[in-house]
Amino acid sequence: MLEARLAKAAILKKLLDAIKELVTDANFDCNDSGIALQAMDNSHVALVALMLRSQGFEHFRCDRNHSLGISLASLSKVLKCAGNDDMLTIKSEEDGDILQLVFESPSSDTISEYDLKLMDIDSEHLGIPDTAYDAVVKMPSVAFQRICRDLSNLSESVSIEVDKEGIRFSAAGEMGNGNTRIKQGSAVDDEGVATTIELNQSVNLTFSLKYLSNFTKATPLSDTVSLNMSADVPLLVEYKVSEIGYIRYYLAPKIGDDN
Amino acid sequence: MVQVTPAKRKEGAGLVIDRNESLTFTPSVPNPITVPPSLKKRKSTLAAVKEDTPSFEEQLEKLSQSTAKVENPEDLWKRPALNPLDPSVDAIVFQQIDVDDVVQAYPETLANPHSIQEASTVRMFGCTMEGHSVTCHVHGFLPYLYVPAPVNFQPHHKEVLHRALNDWFGANRNNRNVPVVDIEMVLKSSIFGYHGKKKALFLRITFRLQSQISAAKRAFTQGIEVPGFGKVACDTYESNIPYPLRFMIDTKIQGASWVELPPSSYQIRTDNAISSSQIEIDVHYSDIRAHQPEGEWQKIAPLRILSFDIECAGRKGIFPEAQVDPVIQIANMVTIQGENRPFIRNVLTLKNCANIVGTHTMSFDDERDLLRKWSEFVVAMDPDLIIGYNINGFDFPYLLDRAAALKVNDFPYLGRIKMSRTNAKDSRFSSKGLGTRDTKTINLEGRLQMDVLQVMQRDYKLRSYTLNSVCAHFLNEQKEDVHYSIIADLQNGNDETRRRLAIYCLKDAYLPQRLIDKLMCVINYMEMARVTGVPFNYLLTRGQQIKVVSQLYRKAKTEDLLIPAKDAEGSDDVQYEGATVIEPEKGFYEQPIATLDFTSLYPSIMMAHNLCYSTHLETLKDAERHGLVRDKDYKVTPDNAFFVKPSVRKGILPTILEDLLAARKRAKNDLKKETDPFKRAVLDGRQLALKVSANSVYGFTGATIGKLPLLAISSSVTAYGREMIELTKSRVESKYTIENGYEFDAKVIYGDTDSVMVKFGVPTVGEAMKLGREAANYVTGYFEKPINLDFEKVYFPYLLINKKRYAGLYWTSPDKHDKMDTKGIETVRRDSCRLVSSVIETCLKKILVDRDVTGAEEYTKGVISDLLQNKIDLSQLVISKALGKTEYSGKQAHNELAERMRKRDAGSAPAIGDRVAYVIAKGTKNAAAYEKAEDPIYVLENNIPIDTKYYLENQLSKPLMRIFEPILGSKANRLLTGDHTRTISVAAPAIGGLMKFAVKSATCLGCKTVLPRSRDATSSDPAVCEHCRPRLPELYVRHLDAQHELEVRFARLWTQCQRCQGSLHQDVICTAQDCPIFYMRKKAQKDMGETAATVKRFDYAW
Repeated sequence: MLEARLAKAAILKKLLDAIKELVTDANFDCNDSGIALQAMDNSHVALVALMLRSQGFEHFRCDRNHSLGISLASLSKVLKCAGNDDMLTIKSEEDGDILQLVFESPSSDTISEYDLKLMDIDSEHLGIPDTAYDAVVKMPSVAFQRICRDLSNLSESVSIEVDKEGIRFSAAGEMGNGNTRIKQGSAVDDEGVATTIELNQSVNLTFSLKYLSNFTKATPLSDTVSLNMSADVPLLVEYKVSEIGYIRYYLAPKIGDDN
Repeated sequence: MVQVTPAKRKEGAGLVIDRNESLTFTPSVPNPITVPPSLKKRKSTLAAVKEDTPSFEEQLEKLSQSTAKVENPEDLWKRPALNPLDPSVDAIVFQQIDVDDVVQAYPETLANPHSIQEASTVRMFGCTMEGHSVTCHVHGFLPYLYVPAPVNFQPHHKEVLHRALNDWFGANRNNRNVPVVDIEMVLKSSIFGYHGKKKALFLRITFRLQSQISAAKRAFTQGIEVPGFGKVACDTYESNIPYPLRFMIDTKIQGASWVELPPSSYQIRTDNAISSSQIEIDVHYSDIRAHQPEGEWQKIAPLRILSFDIECAGRKGIFPEAQVDPVIQIANMVTIQGENRPFIRNVLTLKNCANIVGTHTMSFDDERDLLRKWSEFVVAMDPDLIIGYNINGFDFPYLLDRAAALKVNDFPYLGRIKMSRTNAKDSRFSSKGLGTRDTKTINLEGRLQMDVLQVMQRDYKLRSYTLNSVCAHFLNEQKEDVHYSIIADLQNGNDETRRRLAIYCLKDAYLPQRLIDKLMCVINYMEMARVTGVPFNYLLTRGQQIKVVSQLYRKAKTEDLLIPAKDAEGSDDVQYEGATVIEPEKGFYEQPIATLDFTSLYPSIMMAHNLCYSTHLETLKDAERHGLVRDKDYKVTPDNAFFVKPSVRKGILPTILEDLLAARKRAKNDLKKETDPFKRAVLDGRQLALKVSANSVYGFTGATIGKLPLLAISSSVTAYGREMIELTKSRVESKYTIENGYEFDAKVIYGDTDSVMVKFGVPTVGEAMKLGREAANYVTGYFEKPINLDFEKVYFPYLLINKKRYAGLYWTSPDKHDKMDTKGIETVRRDSCRLVSSVIETCLKKILVDRDVTGAEEYTKGVISDLLQNKIDLSQLVISKALGKTEYSGKQAHNELAERMRKRDAGSAPAIGDRVAYVIAKGTKNAAAYEKAEDPIYVLENNIPIDTKYYLENQLSKPLMRIFEPILGSKANRLLTGDHTRTISVAAPAIGGLMKFAVKSATCLGCKTVLPRSRDATSSDPAVCEHCRPRLPELYVRHLDAQHELEVRFARLWTQCQRCQGSLHQDVICTAQDCPIFYMRKKAQKDMGETAATVKRFDYAW
């Protein structure tokens, strides 16, 4: 028996928006420490890892480990029916084939219940082991989103260069080229989230902008984003989700012309 | 029990999949898992194939038993010895198979009224009934053309014109080689339009050389100064017909027919012979007697057919190039037309080769000797017809290039004319009906060539044209497909590996022969040549029009009509209204539907209404001028064109059609009486040729870029057709009503071009047939003869999906249905995958034959569920498309993939003209299909996930909805979205940027939860989680079963492939991309490795 209650449905809505572009169907692995999801995107170039810790839920109960196979498109349709401020409860029996969702309005006078049919998804469980990165950059998520959007007008790929001074995004395309440089410690916008860099070694890597832009769908979840890089190792883009967990994206660097 | 384990075998080079080599077979356990129906079915067909395919070696052995043993196999090469001929007593009778022309000196011994030294002559090549080859030089037949005589042209003007023309050519008047030989005044008329009974004066101008005809044609169109007439500019008539065909028309020789040279009419060439034929003669054209292909003269000479195949040793990754890569083997099979087994079987190999039963093996250390020997063999054996698979595209050009590269200068003389060097020239064949194709033309004087690949591409629409898949389709037999990169390995091995290659090569040489035997290509083509009167080789090298032209010229000649030489300059833009289609009332009919067809609709319209060039009146004024009366003397067609009635003048086209259809009726009657299988084949080939020819006449008149278009004819034909369909509908619907005492109101539910489908409402097939027959007779009465509405068949039940799309059971007798008939449904389309056609076919069978709609639904759901779980065989998902050109305007899947494959390995990438096979792999959201197309082998090797959604939504859904919507209505959608779509499987690929870094964590085999990483890195993962421990035995048995089943499956597939290659002791090296077994074998192999690993996880548990 799984039963988990979130204070605000909005979190799950945003999470779903952040992954449904990349993944269509996935297993949610539930155990007593929380709910996790790991899946490769359809074109097997990127990997999404999602973690929702049990402490972040208002109420969390999971008697034994089990997986919920969910069509993300269907779940997202159901979640459209929930208000942002609604309290959300998800329930599932171990041997059942449905996921029950209950939305309670803040004033508790409206309660809606939805049943979502589960899928049986046979896939391999893949993960990227944690490693120490040469460069870890924390920056405002909005700034990152903007840079990705701007540069994708120019080119399909961006090179990211990190040194002690700061981080530089540059793109070169048919019509011209452009770059954005953010200095360490500077706040890009008024809200004052500063850019910080932890550096062992400077790095310069190239990534597909299409995927990075997809990753920035997670921007509403967090004010900051952290970019973790080492040479010849996949980039890790992490958004911390307040109190409850994180969403991580992994993307292999581009080598030469090969994609 | 189980077959021998094939575990220790090495897969051939070029395949990268690792096979788990240490497989252990597990004891058989009763099988609790139900096998999906698709699998069961496949297995049974698999077993069926096994039964009846003896290995090719056994075949060779059998072939050798039936032929006489000879000391020296080369003795067989020669044709039967020729008894000396006495020209004063013996007549020479031979079947001419090839006709060409050449400029030759005029023999002194023949009558020479115009004192010519050198002129165009026709050469006929052929074979006598005794099997002697003949080359016949025909003299005295000079090329000519017609021009309308200028006004007031008198006989004495001939001299003036003669001189003017010769001057135009710049010829010296005293030379005996002046271009113009003779001018004659004749009364003829143009075939274009009705001219009344009056004939006009034409000049027939005879030239010395064929090439002068087109020059003269240019002179007349541009205008030529003739003293006394000023500038004479006019159209020429009959000036654009090939000279050999002109000769055949004038001497009434049909294509591939028999000719006789009476005693004393010919001279034998001995010392001055230029050909390698046994009989070489000179003859004057007027002495030739042509036998029409009737009665006795339907026979076919014992033609020698050589089928050959070559192998080259390519380098890894590069397609063989003649400059570098040697020819290592040439296999030959020689058969006499009409016999069922080759009497010469030999193979020429580079380096020694172990003996092959029933085959003459010749080994050479020097490649030059090998080539020389082959050339010697061809000349000595003297084939009439050379066949092979893609010989014009590959084998011939390669041999010629290779001989040139090695400077074997005596090699390229393969034709019958000794001094004529054989060359390969690029040529482009372009026809509206058959598309454009680049080929090579190889000149082999006197020998016919038939590239079986071209025949297949012309005559049959297939998914793939590799020899392997063509044979699988027509002969129900697979062959090994050895990738050319392996060939070099076999060649560099030992005598045994070269023997293996030789057997493979021999099989490739034998299969084209078997194909043309099975499809009766030689007989059918020969009959087509005889019916239409064109030389045999025109059928392969030219389009449809020349056949009609030949008939038109022949017929026009008897009526004193001349055919203008039009330049093909029209454009494609001129359109006229085509046939009519009665709006279908879609639905699933569970009552019998009777089908009424017009027999030979378009030909019969042309006959009934006397539509022809020579009966056409341009305007009403023309009719008045000739004093014709509407409806009595001429008719107005529904398209508002005017044609005179047969009473005024009978058209040429209707006469041709009448002859063709009468001949077809005769052939069909003869066919019924005939018992001899060979003669039956000839007659059947003939009636088919006659039918095709009759139908092509209509197309000829409508071909706007054709030789002689007259749209008034073709548009009138379709207009009549439309009117007739409408009339049929209204007559049937007004007569068969309850009011008129019938049980039900009849309803025409659909009609197209020449047929209407009638629902009479009666419940049984028998009653529907009775009414159908009655209605056909009744309606026929309303039309002019020979238009005939015929009752042909009843469909019951009948699924009408849309215009030109329907399916039904086809009944011609009330007791039992004949077959399932489908039109326009995705059972044959090549741009969809095999899965679609097999699903659709099975569904239709279940719906129509078994009348089990629920069964069809269940089946479909099962397939969709298999698809989503990745259980469908990859070969079922392969889509193929021909790579036409390198530059496509839009990005196309097959083209993009070919480009990517070229980057990976230029050698194995598809070349232009190949069909590219691909599957759609998963890609990013909204990625276009061309980005997702992938090479099936690559997918298989790297475990790339298939885009199952694409197959469901873009391939299966539309055809399935088309079938099920008329039956289930709006409920049809549940097929695509029901519960069965909720179990899916996502494969993890072995390549891609991330896969190098990703770590797989084991999941519980019971409930799929992630298992904690085991502390000890060396031990394997546990099988289940804590919660599922009680289920351990159950799960173990289940996985063991799965493994066992896969093992059996793989072993069976492996042996199947071994059988196909004809030996159970050797590794399988076949990589046939069209062969479903190949994919199954590869998949089974890989799955087996995976399940073995899974089962291993249980080890720890004990």
